[in-house]
Amino acid sequence: MSDKQKSLTYLTKYLKNYKKPILISVAFYLIVTIAQVIAPSLLGQTVTNLSAFVKGHGSLGVFYQALAWMAGFYAFNSVATYIAWMMMTRFNANANNDMRKGLFGKLQRMTIRYFDTHQDGQILSLFNSDLDNIFNALNNAFFEIISQSLLFVGTIIVMFVINWKLALSVVATTPLILLLSWIIMKKAHVYLDNQQDRVGELNAYINEQLNGENVIITQGLRDQSVAGFKKENAKVREAMFKGQFYSGILNPLVSGFSLLNFAIVIATGAYMIMTKQVSQAAGLGLIVTFTEYSWTYFQPLTQVTSIYSMLQLALTGARRLETVEEQEEENTVPDGKTISGVNDAVRLEDVHFGYTPDKEILHGVSIEVPKGQSVAVVGPTGSGKTTIMNLINRFYDVNSGAVTFDGVDVRDLKLENLRSNVGIVLQDSVLFSGTVADNIRYGKPEASMDEVIAAAKEAQLHDFVMTLPEQYDTPIENGQDNFSTGQKQLLSIARTILVDPAFLILDEATSNVDTVTEEKIQKAMDNVIAGRTSFVIAHRLKTILNSDKIVVLKDGQVIEEGPHADLIKKRGFYYQLYTSQMAFE
Amino acid sequence: MKILLPYFKRYKKDVFLTLITIVFSAFATLYQPRLLQQVQNELLADQQQAVIRDTAILIGLGLLSIITGVLNVYYASRITQGVVSDLREDTYAKIQTFSLANVQQFSSESLSVRLINDMQQIMNMIMTIFMQLIRMPLILIGSIIMAIVTIPRYWWAVVVLLALIMGLGVVAVKQITAMFDRFQMYMDKISGRTGEFLQGVRVVKSFNQSPQEIAKLNKDSDELNEVNIKVGYWFSTILPGAQLISYLVISLVVYLIGTSILQHPQDISVITPYVNYVLTMLFAILLVGMAVMQISRGNVSLRRIQEIMDTQPDVVFNEKAPEDALGGSIEFDDVSFTYPDGQQPVLKHISFAVAPGQMVGIVGATGSGKSTLAQLIARLYDPTTGKIKIGGSDLRQVNEKALRKTVSYVLQKAVLFSGTIADNLRQGKKDATSYELERAAQMAQASEFIQRYDETFDHEVEERSANLSGGQKQRLSIARGIIAGSPILILDDSTSALDAESEKLVQETLEKQLPDTTKIMIAEKIVSVMHADKILVLDNGRLVAEGTHEELLKTSPVYQEIYKTQKAKERKEEL
Ligand SMILES: Nc1ncnc2c1ncn2[C@@H]1O[C@H](COP(=O)(O)OP(=O)(O)OP(=O)(O)O)[C@@H](O)[C@H]1O
Ligand SMILES: Nc1ncnc2c1ncn2[C@@H]1O[C@H](COP(=O)(O)OP(=O)(O)OP(=O)(O)O)[C@@H](O)[C@H]1O
Ligand SMILES: [Mg+2]
Ligand SMILES: [Mg+2]
Repeated sequence: MSDKQKSLTYLTKYLKNYKKPILISVAFYLIVTIAQVIAPSLLGQTVTNLSAFVKGHGSLGVFYQALAWMAGFYAFNSVATYIAWMMMTRFNANANNDMRKGLFGKLQRMTIRYFDTHQDGQILSLFNSDLDNIFNALNNAFFEIISQSLLFVGTIIVMFVINWKLALSVVATTPLILLLSWIIMKKAHVYLDNQQDRVGELNAYINEQLNGENVIITQGLRDQSVAGFKKENAKVREAMFKGQFYSGILNPLVSGFSLLNFAIVIATGAYMIMTKQVSQAAGLGLIVTFTEYSWTYFQPLTQVTSIYSMLQLALTGARRLETVEEQEEENTVPDGKTISGVNDAVRLEDVHFGYTPDKEILHGVSIEVPKGQSVAVVGPTGSGKTTIMNLINRFYDVNSGAVTFDGVDVRDLKLENLRSNVGIVLQDSVLFSGTVADNIRYGKPEASMDEVIAAAKEAQLHDFVMTLPEQYDTPIENGQDNFSTGQKQLLSIARTILVDPAFLILDEATSNVDTVTEEKIQKAMDNVIAGRTSFVIAHRLKTILNSDKIVVLKDGQVIEEGPHADLIKKRGFYYQLYTSQMAFE
Repeated sequence: MKILLPYFKRYKKDVFLTLITIVFSAFATLYQPRLLQQVQNELLADQQQAVIRDTAILIGLGLLSIITGVLNVYYASRITQGVVSDLREDTYAKIQTFSLANVQQFSSESLSVRLINDMQQIMNMIMTIFMQLIRMPLILIGSIIMAIVTIPRYWWAVVVLLALIMGLGVVAVKQITAMFDRFQMYMDKISGRTGEFLQGVRVVKSFNQSPQEIAKLNKDSDELNEVNIKVGYWFSTILPGAQLISYLVISLVVYLIGTSILQHPQDISVITPYVNYVLTMLFAILLVGMAVMQISRGNVSLRRIQEIMDTQPDVVFNEKAPEDALGGSIEFDDVSFTYPDGQQPVLKHISFAVAPGQMVGIVGATGSGKSTLAQLIARLYDPTTGKIKIGGSDLRQVNEKALRKTVSYVLQKAVLFSGTIADNLRQGKKDATSYELERAAQMAQASEFIQRYDETFDHEVEERSANLSGGQKQRLSIARGIIAGSPILILDDSTSALDAESEKLVQETLEKQLPDTTKIMIAEKIVSVMHADKILVLDNGRLVAEGTHEELLKTSPVYQEIYKTQKAKERKEEL
């Protein structure tokens, strides 16, 4: 799709829901425009009546009547304007609201791969800049374009009806103007596009830097960060200057041309008189009339060019938004199978996978987690443990082989069903803004306070929460988490405990929690895990000693497998890991 | 507005030239109808010479207006973009003097919104001023005078009209300004929500909570929309409202003229011009009004920028102190600390001393205050009471550059930036050679996986290090921390995501290869700190014990408990 098509697709998509208000407000605005053209003649009528009265062949009554008509007409005009604007305001704001919601909704459906490979700030700039541009343009340009086109077309028709030769002289320069405008607009278009892309990059830079501000400060990178900002900012400035300049010169060019055009009209008229095509008296009148028309003819052009950059920025915004809306979505497998709980086993069957086509990470991994058992995965960093979790939960899909639940390929399950059966405590914990309680019941918003507290107790978080100023109602503002890293992990655990999933995955869930607390959680979790199928990734071997099976993953391959005691006996890789970590008496 | 003045001063020349070009193009605009009328009259009077002359002038005027118009756009764009980008730069530079707490108070999303969206509003404002506002008052004042002069008797009608429209305008501007304020606030909120979603996307998806996220955002978005609609309603009321007022006044004046026409028959001829002047006045008022709206909106944004500029950094360094690295000793003297928004102290009366080159372990329960203590050493916060000295100097007296050279702090949560691996490591030492990169990576056990990439150190890291595993991230973060060879190295649980083997190797290498570096190791695993010269045991913000592994095993119940949970199932001999 070309850029233009993209922009138009986007705009129609969101405006088509407002067909009715758009049509009505446009109709009202057309009336207003026509009324504005007629109004002077009503005034003329009033004046005529009054002068007739003065001259003695009329009554004041007729004048009053005409005046009343005029006043009524004026009032009507104001009311129509009011209605048109009110409706436009509404549908424009609502459409913009739909766009914002649409964009966010779209983000919700996109693949993890997209988020892993795109910068947050680029997406944020769509909210911070592009949506705003579209809104402004519609607000300021919508009626302008309608009424100006109407005036434009109207003027052309009237001119040609009166005298086509002079009419031609009025429009004579138009092709040249169009050509010139086209060249300029093409340039402006490039720069305005470029401008929004640079703004996106600047936003991405700011967002990333400020989110890592603690590193910036502690590494003494402030100066460097400012220097980097200057570089990005200079690019924005350059692009914006060019965009503003090229889109800005259209207007003076066109209004300058309108002056030159007078000369052409006058010359043509003079020529017509000289060649006796018209009588001198009529010709002179015509010239005067057509200089007026030349003026009205150019008005719409100058008006529209003065809002050109606004329009183009809206189109650019629409294109950028449409590009996101076109992105691939997660396949939710709407008519897929459903399962409830694990009845047999969760299996990885000869799984091959790589994040990029050229680099395979898992080379034929097979793991079986029978119902009710707890299987641990250990192995060097980067061996692919988290990747396995990504595949089970379908954040990514296998290249070959399969992940199955009771023999059903996860790709054949309804996505929502799969994920509601799988509970994950991720390696990196995140908090959302809201209260502590909201965060704990994040996976089950309807959970009661008792459930929340029970989960917090099991995760050893309760005592800490009770020390907070408003306990469970303590607000967590974004970016302002007042939890220690370990406490965040405990909260993630509580969150997952609360939803009580059939299949539990713990990805280094307690890596930052002290071992005393960890042991307590373990005891609590033993109850939770008992009878539950689970998959535990851990570097702290103490936590997995009692697993039914330990799988050692190295470089994307399973190299050892079995219960703790067996693996120790084997004196292989696991043995090495174990002895290097444990404290011995 | 005041905040912009110094910026305009920087572009004095451009401002001057813009004004001149405005005068010229205003002249062209104002003169053109007159000239045209003149030509028309001359045409009707058949004065050929005059027609030719004035047509030529018309062409000249056209060219003049093109040239001055283009120049006006050029200079106005230079000012607008210059002022805005300078302001944006200074704002960012100011943010980079903030303490961590300052940044968190604003939230990073709000700061982004201010640097992007608010700047856009300010830009619109400046553009409006230079491209419209300056010449509108001329037209407005001109038409007011002309309207009054045309029918002096009804001067009061013009005054009434102005008063009514102004009144309407003042009320509206007040209302709308408040709404713009709210608009920017919701903008912050939406940006915050989206940022939060982007960071927690895996959690959202794994809990199937998209509906919840959507509901939360829709609520904010609806509220923003409410504001938009209200602002729009005001606009939609004011415009036709002002129109209606003008029309009524016009009708009233025409009516009055009519009733008294016999006394003043000459009034007939002034009706049409009078109406035209009032309508021009209305047009100018509306344009000025629009500009005022744009300005009041820009003002809200300027205030939000001013807020940043007015913020006093919580932590201020002593610029006058020397920039040289400090010594490697650390001394805590009765330090207590409460977080700015916290209620209870997180650290209570902590005192200890570390000699240069020592290795110190810190252990303690989750939330006992280990990271907080480390943050105080790096002076992310200042202690509420008590004193911290590094290399003998009070932290409050040192230069920031000196402190950063001295203390290298590997954070508990590894954060890398998008860019290559080398870019990230060089954040620790700007001019690091490839040998140094290699050495640091080796020590952090990172070179093994870096070498596997085809581009080795030029491999790209995605934002939030999305394409690295937990342990890879941490190892790069450690490498970045040690590359500069700072006298003091703090590792805050920095090996938590490393497998046991790599962890052990990292520990050993650091101990061996950095003998002169003071090492603070915060760890959950006792094995990591067993060999330390000294171990500090924190419990609920208090320093409850201090000593070597052997000593603590004998004396500290807290330490004993931690140790107990980490002992192997088997005895050494059994394996
Ligand atoms: N989104 C991604 N895109 C590209 N490569 C990735 C991505 N995520 C991980 N990798 C790479 O895949 C490999 C396996 O990573 P994974 O996160 O599965 O390791 P892990 O075993 O969980 O390690 P750790 O113990 O350090 O968490 C690593 O080399 C990593 O760099
Ligand atoms: N920014 C903050 N504002 C308010 N309170 C905070 C903030 N950061 C941490 N806290 C609180 O201070 C206490 C100490 O936190 P700290 O991060 O120092 O713990 P820690 O010992 O490092 O724990 P962990 O082992 O989990 O990393 C905790 O109770 C925590 O909730
Ligand atoms: Mg991992
Ligand atoms: Mg910590």
